[in-house]
Amino acid sequence: MTCLEVQRALPEFLDDAPDVAIQTDFEAHLKSCPDCSDLVSDLKLISSEARQLATSEEPAPRVWARIAADLRAEGLIREPESARPILVPTSPRRRWSAWWLAPVAAALVAAGSYVVNHRPAPQVAKQQAPAAPVTSPAVTPPAPETPAVASHSVPIPAPQEVAEKSKPTDIVGSSAGPAAGSAMAPAIEPEPSAEDQQFLSAVSTLAPSTRATYESQLQAVNADIRESQAYLDRNPGDPEARQHLMDAYQQKALLYQIALDRIQ
Amino acid sequence: MVFWHLRNGRERFRNFLGKFVQRKEFEAASEALAAGKGDLTDPKQRITESEAIEQAKQGQEAAFEVLYHLHKRRVYSLCLRMVSNPAQAEDLAQEAFLQLFRKIGTFRGESAFSTWLHRMTVNVVLMQLRKKGLPVVSLEETLEADDEAPRKEFGTKDLKLTGSIDRLQLQRAIDRLPPGYRTVFVLHDVEGFEHNEIAQIVGCSIGNSKSQLHKARLKLRDYLKFMRAEKAKTG
Repeated sequence: MTCLEVQRALPEFLDDAPDVAIQTDFEAHLKSCPDCSDLVSDLKLISSEARQLATSEEPAPRVWARIAADLRAEGLIREPESARPILVPTSPRRRWSAWWLAPVAAALVAAGSYVVNHRPAPQVAKQQAPAAPVTSPAVTPPAPETPAVASHSVPIPAPQEVAEKSKPTDIVGSSAGPAAGSAMAPAIEPEPSAEDQQFLSAVSTLAPSTRATYESQLQAVNADIRESQAYLDRNPGDPEARQHLMDAYQQKALLYQIALDRIQ
Repeated sequence: MVFWHLRNGRERFRNFLGKFVQRKEFEAASEALAAGKGDLTDPKQRITESEAIEQAKQGQEAAFEVLYHLHKRRVYSLCLRMVSNPAQAEDLAQEAFLQLFRKIGTFRGESAFSTWLHRMTVNVVLMQLRKKGLPVVSLEETLEADDEAPRKEFGTKDLKLTGSIDRLQLQRAIDRLPPGYRTVFVLHDVEGFEHNEIAQIVGCSIGNSKSQLHKARLKLRDYLKFMRAEKAKTG
């Protein structure tokens, strides 16, 4: 093959499956012609290097911002349906560090467990030592210096661990103690409790749709707790009712935990 | 009755929590991808793209954002290679994603999502080039005069290209290509389209596509050698 013939056959040689006879002649020429050999090597290198350029560039952040704005304007982004926030934080907007969520989450579980396990059944109550006069459980965020629920001493249960624990006493363990007991006094009111207000204030820094989701879920889980509590009040000996109330507290703790993960 | 209500409410809450955690994963995936930490080889992220598509059909912003971050480099790089202008490339990338998101409800998964987006991007770019009256592909099919003789080497023979190519120089060289050559070169060597696909996309023959590609590569080699020679002169 001549150099001209090689150059004319290059596209077929580089990209297609060349005829065997042509390939043999082609390669024989390359072995004897440094110029054609360099040419073929260079073209192969250019082709292979070009492939690396496919994802080499990054668009500026403004591109996504413009896309999102257009999507919203065209109604392609739909905000999740959520009730208008009923529980509006009344305290001035502050930047809350989220450290308090962890002990509150643990205290919620502990409090729920305490209520569930120390609520006497009607026939049993007469025979046992008087139980603590708990009307309905509530949790106030323990002071940071409270040793039993200090943020660094209480292992924060992962949501799965909380959901899976079947023995409420395991959760209480030694982590609650008097702190949980002292947290039992106030009742849960339909209005947001102090810790709920702090929770709402903390999530108020999030995107509107995310914040609305947290608010509606807090409302739902509080309603769940109230219903479970009310049922347990009417049926204090019912173990399933106790478990339901415990589950509700665990779900609220899970919600706090998720918010904690989000904010941190 | 109360029990049923309690159980039902709890189940609804649990279902929602499950979706909420999923959404959290969405947002985490989106943030990771935005920070350049996305990994498409991660099975979890592959699942995330499929779920992102379904959630995007429901209008979830986080899902759109996940899809954007997964494919933004490919789309923008293609636009930039084709038009050689960053501002214009941004506009084209934006338009490509918008067209994709408008039509995402029609995506049935018969082809890969990336392939669908890829084709859409190419169409957006070519439409823009045609609007501006720029040649998408050279219509010449006949051999040029200098094809009758062996190619003359450009620059000194001692500066062989073989061995290494500076990527930035390659980008600059591509930018210098005539639009027709650049289109075919970018579609084939950069983006991986086959000649029959290129022919269909740009509206030319397969033979023309092969010819354009070959000439583009030869020109690039000349440009790169010239750049290297210039660099050697200036030290």
